[in-house]
Amino acid sequence: MSALATTANIMRHAFRAGLADYREMFTWKSWAAGWMVRVIAQVSFFALLGERIGNDRTTYYLLIGNAILVAALTGIFSLNMTTAERWVGTLPLLVASPSSPIIVFSAKGSYLAVDGALSALAALFIAGPIFGMDLPWPAVLAVVPLTALVALASYCFGTFLAGIVFRFRNINSLVVLTTQVTLMAACGINVPFSYYPEALEWFSRVLPVTNGLLAIRGVFDGADAATILGDAALEAAVAVGWMTLALSSFNQLASRGRRDGSLDYGA
Amino acid sequence: MHSFLAGFGLELRIIRAAPDAFIPLVTAPVFALIFLSIVRQSGRPDLQADALMAPVLMTLWWIALQHAGNLITGDRWQALLEPLIATPASLASVLLGRISALMGFGLISFFEVWAIGELVYGVSIPFEHPGALALTFLVTAFATAGTSVAFAAVFVMSRNAYTFTNSLGYPLYLLGGVLVPVAILPGWIQPVSSGIFMSWAADLLRASLKPPPIDDLWQRLGTVALLGAVSFVLGRLILSHVMQRMRAKGELAAT
Repeated sequence: MSALATTANIMRHAFRAGLADYREMFTWKSWAAGWMVRVIAQVSFFALLGERIGNDRTTYYLLIGNAILVAALTGIFSLNMTTAERWVGTLPLLVASPSSPIIVFSAKGSYLAVDGALSALAALFIAGPIFGMDLPWPAVLAVVPLTALVALASYCFGTFLAGIVFRFRNINSLVVLTTQVTLMAACGINVPFSYYPEALEWFSRVLPVTNGLLAIRGVFDGADAATILGDAALEAAVAVGWMTLALSSFNQLASRGRRDGSLDYGA
Repeated sequence: MHSFLAGFGLELRIIRAAPDAFIPLVTAPVFALIFLSIVRQSGRPDLQADALMAPVLMTLWWIALQHAGNLITGDRWQALLEPLIATPASLASVLLGRISALMGFGLISFFEVWAIGELVYGVSIPFEHPGALALTFLVTAFATAGTSVAFAAVFVMSRNAYTFTNSLGYPLYLLGGVLVPVAILPGWIQPVSSGIFMSWAADLLRASLKPPPIDDLWQRLGTVALLGAVSFVLGRLILSHVMQRMRAKGELAAT
């Protein structure tokens, strides 16, 4: 079997293992009645603030931003993967195996990007009409691949951070939640960039969500295709950048854990 | 009382050792900045006080769900529940002591949002009715502690408490009216919200930051306390039922 075929085989098995994990966490019923209710409540929470402010434009701005944010939040959950592996005692085995841990982790958690994109789109297409938001047909179809791109970029970012916190399991949840609220605050989710200092815009442009969300807002505002594609290309570049960093740092950080014996069993 | 104090001290030590416990204190100021930026950018400075109070209530809810609600489940996972039950101390007293420590810890977020509002936007908390504000926080913390006991009792019965805790946050923020008054919610949801103590507490908090006199202060405080007490009693009943069942079925062996 060639190296490429072996890698593909590992990724396929890792993805299936990830799906099996997810099925343990959620059934279709608990996903729809638990997770989706939470997601729609989250988007409605912010949209209702717009209603209270008494401005439809603000309501729709908050609704779109917070619906797309769901894709990012779910992608960032990839940070939990290493801790989860540690809990079940498989992390040292994964690091000791001849395959690269990053290949396993990046494939195993990729269901999060799929779940994030689906959840965000469901939130947008359910909460949008509830709040009377117009979904311009057929242009709104462009939101589907753009949301998938946001989910993918966030997943790449989460995978990079997973490598960083690999050996610091006790701060894993803290990093997840801090990253999520940082994205919520800094990526143009709730207020336009014009409201913030210029330096913050530069910072947020290298974070996932920012550029993809601008492209999605462009679709709703009827922006020209070149502008939308430009923002989408930037989001794709951000995704590639974070995954490149993840690939170059993850194995090295894992090896350090192997050297100093910090890859113990349990949490 | 000894058991209560022992539980209180134990939880403070756990908090000190667990960085995860600080999550709500990290997120509360960020949420305050997010809410403040939304209302300021929209030209509604009259909503700034509400924007500052919402993260405090969210912190209490978060702690109730993620920490207090999972106390028994966590103890069970770590095989601490069995020795705890075997001691002569009342489990409920220890639990209440631990939850009270968590609530006190959560109220630090009030000072955090106050500081961040001042530092970043120069916005302070308008102390129009300071006595009512302090009483509301006190009663809210009590009611949240009572509700946490109910969460803890329900979650310990669940096969996957993670699904509940992860899913309940925002629906409860919404139904509890922590940022947007219940009156703005659709009419069919409002009766559900009225049964949640947080909706009364949130309205009262907002009223205590505004100049007009507060209508029916004692009655509203009483409602918050009553709803919290009902949750606590329900939680205790469920808990003793669960413990009884565990004893009867021999499920208490450390695993």
